[in-house]
Amino acid sequence: MTDAFALPTRFGAESLGGCYAPETLMQPLLDLEAAFRSALADPAFQAELKAELRHFVGRPTPLTAAPRLAAELGFKALYLKREDLTHTGAHKINNALAQALLARRMGKTEIIAETGAGQHGVATAAACARLGLACTVYMGVTDMARQAPNVARMRLFGTKVVPVEAGQGTLKEAVNEALRAWAGRCDHAHYILGSALGPHPFPTLVRTFQTVIGEEARAQVLEQAGALPEAVIACAGGGSNGLGLLVPFLGDPLRRLAVEAGGHGRALGEHAARLDGGRAGVLHGCKTLLLQDEHGHTAETASISAGLDYPALGPELAALALDGKLEVRRASDDEALAGARLLCEREGILPALESSHALAALPALAAEGAATVLLGLSGRGDKDLSTYQSRMEI
Amino acid sequence: MNPLLPFLMAGDPSLEALPVQLSEARSLGIEALELGLPHSDPIADGPVLQAAAHRAIGRGATPVRVLQTLAGLKDSPDLILFTYLNPLLQIGAERLKTLLAPTPVKALLVVDLPFGEEPAFEADLRAAGYPMVPLLAPTTTLDRARQVLAERPDPGPAAPFAQRFAYVVARLGVTGTAQSTDLAPVRERVTQLRDISSRPLAVGFGLSDAASLAAVRAMGATPVVGSALVRELAEGKSMAACLSPLMDGDL
Ligand SMILES: Cc1ncc(COP(=O)(O)O)c(C=O)c1O
Repeated sequence: MTDAFALPTRFGAESLGGCYAPETLMQPLLDLEAAFRSALADPAFQAELKAELRHFVGRPTPLTAAPRLAAELGFKALYLKREDLTHTGAHKINNALAQALLARRMGKTEIIAETGAGQHGVATAAACARLGLACTVYMGVTDMARQAPNVARMRLFGTKVVPVEAGQGTLKEAVNEALRAWAGRCDHAHYILGSALGPHPFPTLVRTFQTVIGEEARAQVLEQAGALPEAVIACAGGGSNGLGLLVPFLGDPLRRLAVEAGGHGRALGEHAARLDGGRAGVLHGCKTLLLQDEHGHTAETASISAGLDYPALGPELAALALDGKLEVRRASDDEALAGARLLCEREGILPALESSHALAALPALAAEGAATVLLGLSGRGDKDLSTYQSRMEI
Repeated sequence: MNPLLPFLMAGDPSLEALPVQLSEARSLGIEALELGLPHSDPIADGPVLQAAAHRAIGRGATPVRVLQTLAGLKDSPDLILFTYLNPLLQIGAERLKTLLAPTPVKALLVVDLPFGEEPAFEADLRAAGYPMVPLLAPTTTLDRARQVLAERPDPGPAAPFAQRFAYVVARLGVTGTAQSTDLAPVRERVTQLRDISSRPLAVGFGLSDAASLAAVRAMGATPVVGSALVRELAEGKSMAACLSPLMDGDL
């Protein structure tokens, strides 16, 4: 039994992160950190994870040059890191699979997860089916309606999807309910958190399992272009694909950007842009930039994209932004839709609504003079077809 | 021994009713009472307290208004403010101390604040007379329990129950009434804790019926009744009607 964390629990000058968990979850979190450290140090675990990422997930994912979109926007070159081509269609599987392997190693028999866009839920459901673990996913009712195909996919994989009616019926409420469920079943269940959020060690664990994105992309762009790009950009919900792509480029002389959901307005409640609207606060076990009212109650959020519709930015990403190591932008619902349309028309790739927010920031980057850009295409847009159909004239 | 530690959600049914609720509790012989500060995201609460918190917020029970309502109350049990951390952080330690000074609040139970996460904030409040209640869960190992009790020490027998007791969580999960809680594990836990600490113990989470309250008292601990009480009060029952049947120490 471990009685203190060994890894750093805080990020940046503002000391974001931490472990603000109910006492019931403290020992499970201490045990999780210990299991995570021992797995990382175990060549057998590393080998199994690597093999699964290759043969089940489909890694390495391609880095695709997008010359027609680059020409349209005025870039010299634009590269897309294709997490949309992973099994289950988003980067979420990198983390879900790794945590499922970790849970099995810990002797856990049930997996609990939350999901917003449904991509983390589908990835977790697939990993659990593959490893023979029971799986329960908590999902807000609003998200179940707007991401219906993913609900069906989870159920096909044998996962129990529990609707969460509270509040706005989105990701925040799903995390609330998953944390409650874990407190009740932590003796035999592991909670696979889907983003770089929550109490320590989750932000570190999720980031560690996602940096494969940036490690591959960095090697691929050097091989294909012979040089690093001038800018690397990703969308940011909780921050897992953002950190996964950007962290391996932290030592490089280039611009790093994360794009948040600008929703449909600038007032509190109309967006999910934490960096220019949030204040430091504690939600879901960590201290980070949080959209909240003057009473310290979590604010409502809005975004066309279920995966970005969350009031808190992951603590490590928030710390990097506050410490000037990355730039944070916002893209509105309409800008994201326009970005998606452009990628479809110019390159024949249908992006997830989340990833479309990164695409939406490209025109401004071009206007600022960036010539070569690498963009994290975090997921595919099949789940979003009904939104695209109703919001675009097609 | 203190026979009962009731839990109320501030602002449910209304903030106006709170002073009366508290004086009724006091006249029924309640020495200490946990008062919930309604929060938007109560991750450690079950459906009954979630609903009560949302009703209270909907009726304007903001943290500051709750504390202002408590200001100057003389006729109240000692209060333990049961809350999540973020509202307190946003108020800030200085202003919080000023707001707490005229109230009957004697201690804080911050559900999502393990020891060591906000050391300066916690030390500041403790020095001002608002210690954090130590919580011990079924997952808390005995080693960790020793640590928790040392980090949040007993101020000693001269201090009131509210500032001395440790809260022993009876089962895994969130607050709320359970179908049936097997009290054998918590009985064993209480016995273990007696060996390492002489402070008063309260046992809660899922207790509602007279038999489990009696079982907790038989362990020499104070039973906490929360969700069951909040539900009955929301149905319009009086404080006396709710508490009297629970008060009997000799059950
Ligand atoms: C395709 C896709 N991209 C991005 C996100 C946002 O999450 P994160 O910021 O953790 O990458 C999600 C979340 O559901 C997603 O499904």
